[in-house]
Amino acid sequence: MNTENSATGEGKGGDVIVETVSRLMVPFIQLFALYVIIHGAGGPGGGFQGGVIFAASFILLVIAFGIVDAGDRFPEAVNTNLFSVGVYIFAGVGLLCVILSFGAAQYLNYGFIPLTTHFEENRALGMDLVEIGIGITVMAVITSIFFNLVWKRESEEEVGEKEEQE
Amino acid sequence: MKLISAMALVSVIFLGALFIYVAEDIPAFGDPYSPPNRYVKLDISMDADELVDDLNQGIVPEALVSELEAIGFRKDELPSSVETVTEGEWDAYVIPPEKYYQDLPELEQKRSKYYFIKREGDTLDVYRYAPIIRYIEEGHHETEVPNMVTYILADYRGYDTLGEVTVIFTAGVGVLLLLRRREKRPE
Repeated sequence: MNTENSATGEGKGGDVIVETVSRLMVPFIQLFALYVIIHGAGGPGGGFQGGVIFAASFILLVIAFGIVDAGDRFPEAVNTNLFSVGVYIFAGVGLLCVILSFGAAQYLNYGFIPLTTHFEENRALGMDLVEIGIGITVMAVITSIFFNLVWKRESEEEVGEKEEQE
Repeated sequence: MKLISAMALVSVIFLGALFIYVAEDIPAFGDPYSPPNRYVKLDISMDADELVDDLNQGIVPEALVSELEAIGFRKDELPSSVETVTEGEWDAYVIPPEKYYQDLPELEQKRSKYYFIKREGDTLDVYRYAPIIRYIEEGHHETEVPNMVTYILADYRGYDTLGEVTVIFTAGVGVLLLLRRREKRPE
């Protein structure tokens, strides 16, 4: 009776406690990940660390709800696009410095982005933008690696079971 | 589908061209006038005429040593020898503070470049050399970011970090190509 569920991955956790606790935890993990990314300038943290914590929240979703439900919440097409969005944010901020200073500044010299009136604060804000780009790329890549590994395994199981039935 | 492929090709070519273009911007290795390698100026200015002869002969002037001591440099941070770079510019060397270097016999002594002395009209200005000192001492004022790791990684070494993100992106693309789930398997 459980074969259908295990084949599609539905109800793998199947436990009310696990589902409820992870449903409660996921928003807080994601909030903490955003805090780590934005707070990278002021304390320990940064784009790489925050991105991995964000990806961990999706992994928790998969563990609790199974790959199908979690995959519906986080479509793969969007995830794949986010790979390059992060890199383009980083490269774009660097290019913005060259454009906004009319070619006077070096690439990635954040001080020339006129976000505030102070050169030094522009540099701090430019670093924050760059950290967001790093975070998006790391989050998308780690999530994609995990999802792809799990999907492959389950589709193989499915085929194996069909062959057994025949 | 063709449109998406064409867009991907265009964006990859654009990003590659951008990387090649900005690579031209990077200063040559060890360029002393590149932004991170610029010297940190010390709050000393001395009368030039008395000291220039000593400096040209490679002797460390007593006045310079006592000025540095007054600022609060440790004993192992005081210059031990001087060399002329060009007319009116000198490098001063220290012996590295580790015990191994301090105990070496005089002939094998290793020196590291530490101070840069420059004649400006009638006065001598003293600068400190190494880029790492600039990162540590000036980074907080220059970037308004209190976290040293972040401002070195994202600002002074920003191009390096851009490369790291590209490496992660490439890893993701590799995993997608190898492991992407296929909806229909070939019969």
